[in-house]
Amino acid sequence: MNNMMFGKYLPIDSFVHRLDPRLKIGALLLLLIAVFFDAGFLGYAILGIFVIMMALLSHIKVSQIIKAIKPMLFMMAFLMIFNLLFIQRGTLLWSFSFIKIYDQALTQTAYIFIRLVLIIVMTTILTATTKPLDLTLGIEHLLSPFKKLGFPTHEVAMMISIALRFIPTLLEETQRIMKAQASRGVEFSEGTLKQKIMSIVSLIIPLFISAFQRAEDLANAMESRNYNPEAKRTRYKQLHWKFADTISFICVIAMCSTLVVMSIVL
Amino acid sequence: MSITFKEVEHIYSENTPFSYHALKGVNLDIKQGSMTALIGHTGSGKSTLIQHINALLLPTAGEIHIDDFLISVTDKPETLKPLRKKAGLVFQFPEYQLFEETIQKDIIFGPKNFGATEEEALAVAKKVLKLVGLDESYLERSPFDLSGGQKRRIAIAGILAMDPDILILDEPTAGLDPQGAKEMLNLFKKINEQGKTVILVSHDMNQVLEYCDDVVVMNKGRVERHVSVDELFRETEYLTSLSIDLPIITSFILELNKNGFDIDPSIKDINELIQVIGGQIHE
Repeated sequence: MNNMMFGKYLPIDSFVHRLDPRLKIGALLLLLIAVFFDAGFLGYAILGIFVIMMALLSHIKVSQIIKAIKPMLFMMAFLMIFNLLFIQRGTLLWSFSFIKIYDQALTQTAYIFIRLVLIIVMTTILTATTKPLDLTLGIEHLLSPFKKLGFPTHEVAMMISIALRFIPTLLEETQRIMKAQASRGVEFSEGTLKQKIMSIVSLIIPLFISAFQRAEDLANAMESRNYNPEAKRTRYKQLHWKFADTISFICVIAMCSTLVVMSIVL
Repeated sequence: MSITFKEVEHIYSENTPFSYHALKGVNLDIKQGSMTALIGHTGSGKSTLIQHINALLLPTAGEIHIDDFLISVTDKPETLKPLRKKAGLVFQFPEYQLFEETIQKDIIFGPKNFGATEEEALAVAKKVLKLVGLDESYLERSPFDLSGGQKRRIAIAGILAMDPDILILDEPTAGLDPQGAKEMLNLFKKINEQGKTVILVSHDMNQVLEYCDDVVVMNKGRVERHVSVDELFRETEYLTSLSIDLPIITSFILELNKNGFDIDPSIKDINELIQVIGGQIHE
């Protein structure tokens, strides 16, 4: 469980780490949209180089990126096989009884593979370089225009930050309970289906009980300090938009518009 | 059941930015049938150490012998399942591991995992429930209706039901009232007197003095002392350097001695101390 790389913050210092979280979230959104423009393999090569540069600037090791892709491999393989078999356009390349492979299916599948890898790597860069609390702060800032439409920006941000805050706690708790039950002879990786269900039950129930207990304690602690979600509040942590952020933003915009233009022209 | 640690190292999340060196060259030999206290500050490696005894954690270097079992770097934890029955580990706040509908089912969960039949397990459940000071009427009740202290007794009963030869307890009295804590410790002493090895992680030096034979002191991942309780509390300067308080009775005797008394500082019993003080007054 500790090997999970996806979504884990890496406590190092780098150019990307220092960027404004608002910029990073905005850039990710724009790039995610850009990924789906069909700019051909050349477009993806350019975007690929851009993403590699971002990864280099954030000092993430290749091994860490591979670790992030690994859990997605099964889903990727599944998607690719389906695409390969069910897209039946273009010229027929190869057929064997009911299996027919067309050239367009091949390119589409390659596109999907590239898109997924790019999406995973870009998301990993965001979560690895931005502290969860900065992420929430960024989201809250980006959502603040919707406040005028009655959208509960602060409540949503508070919910996200509480959820993020408790992920490590719950993981720790899970490990603790797993160890306690392992001491009572539970084997989580072996046994018949019935034994496996029993071992999961012995983990889930204590986990739920402690999660509810924590939620109640937290709610009481917040209420006893007179927490009011509607109150106007100031922040200890301020976001500062720097020159580097502007430059980065221009680069991202340039990248996205290149892809859009390429997809229209080509 | 002797426990021997040989040059044991443990590093969490090795080769990542999160790596943490928790045990550094630990050599330790815990005598069969002893009641040993494990003391040291938070983060000194106590919890890591005890999780090696039932192979929940494997060493990153070195080896551990527990009777015929050898725990080393390359073992698969699965092959060490029989060891989990021999070395019963009670975690801190064990009441959080309860999950069954009835207390009876929860207590027999452990024995059944180790292959006991329903009847055998039930007989044991009744016995251990009595041992932890609750009567049979509790068997059919839900563990979640009980008070915190009672829940903890049930959880400990669940471990005792496996009939381990070694009982390891991580701060079993944390959060209990003084009376409950005392009853709990008397229970462990009783189990120890039945010939079982007991390892007790504790922050309360009064408990260590009153109940334990030997003490292991851990500091920054190393075992710094493994001596008898009497010897440890004679090293007042060392304990002060670790900011560990002396037991109340020992520090009282030392205070008296400073003012002209001459009392043996290894006295553990308050009545004995009163007699000794009284005797000196009459002289």
